[in-house]
Amino acid sequence: MKKRWICFVLALMMTAGLLAGCGSSESGAGDAGELNVFVWTEYVPDAVFEKFEDETGIKVNVSTYSSNEDMLAKVKSESEGAYDVVLPSDYMIEQMIAQDMLEELDQDALTNLSNIGEAYLNPSYDPGNIYSVPYQGGVAAIAVNTSMTDLDITSYADLFDPSLADSLVVLDDYRAVIGMTARSMGYSMNETDPEILSQIEEKLLTLKNNIRLYDSDSPKSALISGDCSVGYVWSAEAALAMEENPDIKIVYPTEGAYLFMDNWAVLKGTKNYDGAMQFINFMLDSEVSQMVSEEFPYLNPNTAAVEAMGEEYSGNIAKNPPADVIAAGEYVQNLDTDTLAVYDEMWTKLKE
Amino acid sequence: MEKTRKHSRHSFRSNTLPAVVMTGPMTLLLILLVAVPLIYVGVMSFCSIDQYYNVVFQFTTKNYARLVSLDYMKIYGQSLLIAFVTTVICILIGYPFSWLIARTKSKYKKILYMLVIVPFWTNSLIRVYGWRTFLGTNGWLNTALQFLHLTDGPLNFLYNRGTTILGMVYCLLPFMILPLYTSIEKLDQSLLEASADLGAKKAATFVEVVLPLTAGGIFSGSIMIFIPCLGYFFISDILGGGNSDVIGNLIERQFQSGNNWPLGAALSIVLIVITLILVKLYQRMGGSMENLGV
Repeated sequence: MKKRWICFVLALMMTAGLLAGCGSSESGAGDAGELNVFVWTEYVPDAVFEKFEDETGIKVNVSTYSSNEDMLAKVKSESEGAYDVVLPSDYMIEQMIAQDMLEELDQDALTNLSNIGEAYLNPSYDPGNIYSVPYQGGVAAIAVNTSMTDLDITSYADLFDPSLADSLVVLDDYRAVIGMTARSMGYSMNETDPEILSQIEEKLLTLKNNIRLYDSDSPKSALISGDCSVGYVWSAEAALAMEENPDIKIVYPTEGAYLFMDNWAVLKGTKNYDGAMQFINFMLDSEVSQMVSEEFPYLNPNTAAVEAMGEEYSGNIAKNPPADVIAAGEYVQNLDTDTLAVYDEMWTKLKE
Repeated sequence: MEKTRKHSRHSFRSNTLPAVVMTGPMTLLLILLVAVPLIYVGVMSFCSIDQYYNVVFQFTTKNYARLVSLDYMKIYGQSLLIAFVTTVICILIGYPFSWLIARTKSKYKKILYMLVIVPFWTNSLIRVYGWRTFLGTNGWLNTALQFLHLTDGPLNFLYNRGTTILGMVYCLLPFMILPLYTSIEKLDQSLLEASADLGAKKAATFVEVVLPLTAGGIFSGSIMIFIPCLGYFFISDILGGGNSDVIGNLIERQFQSGNNWPLGAALSIVLIVITLILVKLYQRMGGSMENLGV
């Protein structure tokens, strides 16, 4: 009988311990001292989060994703407040605004917003920067290994040249490749007219013969190793490839390039709005932005940071695309599902 | 009457309860981890999407209608072709090798067996990336060929259907060797002697005696290679460079960049149906389901 009592007491104590364990972590999350940040992989240096923690005392919990759709699905499946700050791309910002998922930003708290260049403010996907501020972006540029081809490549249209048979590496992304084809014909990346789309399809299928490799993760590898002589890749990838192999140069297409921009935004239902605003303003700081660019040389809209980094950085057109390239560029937009089904069909045809 | 009731209660206690206790947790686990997800995929394949690609529970057969398009058919066909060629190559390489392991009397038998097992200790993704480095323009193979003056410039080995098949064979070969090894090991030596005594030549013995007796191993090996081949999208991505998609790539694309989960679910159902047909064929040919559990 005694034994049974001891067992009972022990069991009770263990259960209590378990509950206490839950309780303490709950109360930790409820504190104003934590911030849950959800960002792209390989995009924000750890040192930046540490600096923020040191300066503010707010503990940052970082989670990562590798596609906008992945991020959206996770945000929707988690309870409100699981993530406070997210970093979606242009078209995804538009989509999240439309689905009423984002909190308006407190413009008064964004004292560092003036660091951002004029060209990057007031974007088409979020007029007036009500819900988002730009972090980093890129241009889908052309990287050419000049020792492997004699062709003078200046435009997207040149990528279709028959002399480039079996030598291209392109982004493994249907909007990127179909959009590039559209731009090479003078159309928009966001065409919806079936008539025009069928013309684009015809042209797209002629690219098949030139494509050697589809790779979004690390297209620079194929350029550096010499497996592919020409690439349709992100400007940052081209910048890194150029550092490894001086024969590689970057070309911004005359038709105007495909642009993307990733932006900080705050999710509805956040438990730490002030902390989130503090964090976003911190990310806009010129010194912080320099730390980011040194590790991940994407297009940096933080003009103050770019100027501070000097000629070596700002003069490198792969790391710092010229203003006219940005002005001539185009963002991908959300299209209706029927049109995207046509895009998907075109992509399947290209890949079969 | 009181007695019979008591008896039936007793028998319930003695049979049903222990059975429920013993199989209950496993059944629950299977329902939760196999049945529910399968039903979920099945239901989702008939769902619609709204303008933001959210899944909406509104019945539609549109997803399946899209799947019967010629473009998708071509990729299923390519996928089946890749799986078939991979399986045949695995049989051709796997059979002699299994025979060697099973029949060798040398002390190296264990080492030969380990040669099949050890690669499993490294993640297959890393091994497939290894092939990419090996076969690349500046890879070892091209360097060696040029060093030996067999070729003038680098050859393009990578990023086609051939390299996809190479990767599949490389990753899946052990699944052919292991069941074949078991069935060859079990082969009774006295049957071969009897065949020889009765005047059969070696070739005849192989065709008439050995092959039928090891067919089970070939079948189960084939089914364990053919089915994953349809789904191994990472191999066609890494070694095929996106130029030789399999059904797995189509599914992956709809769940990732395409963000059309119902269409992806419908594609998964197609893959499941193909798998079921293959397993049924396998059973028809006399394959035992137990052999698939190797």
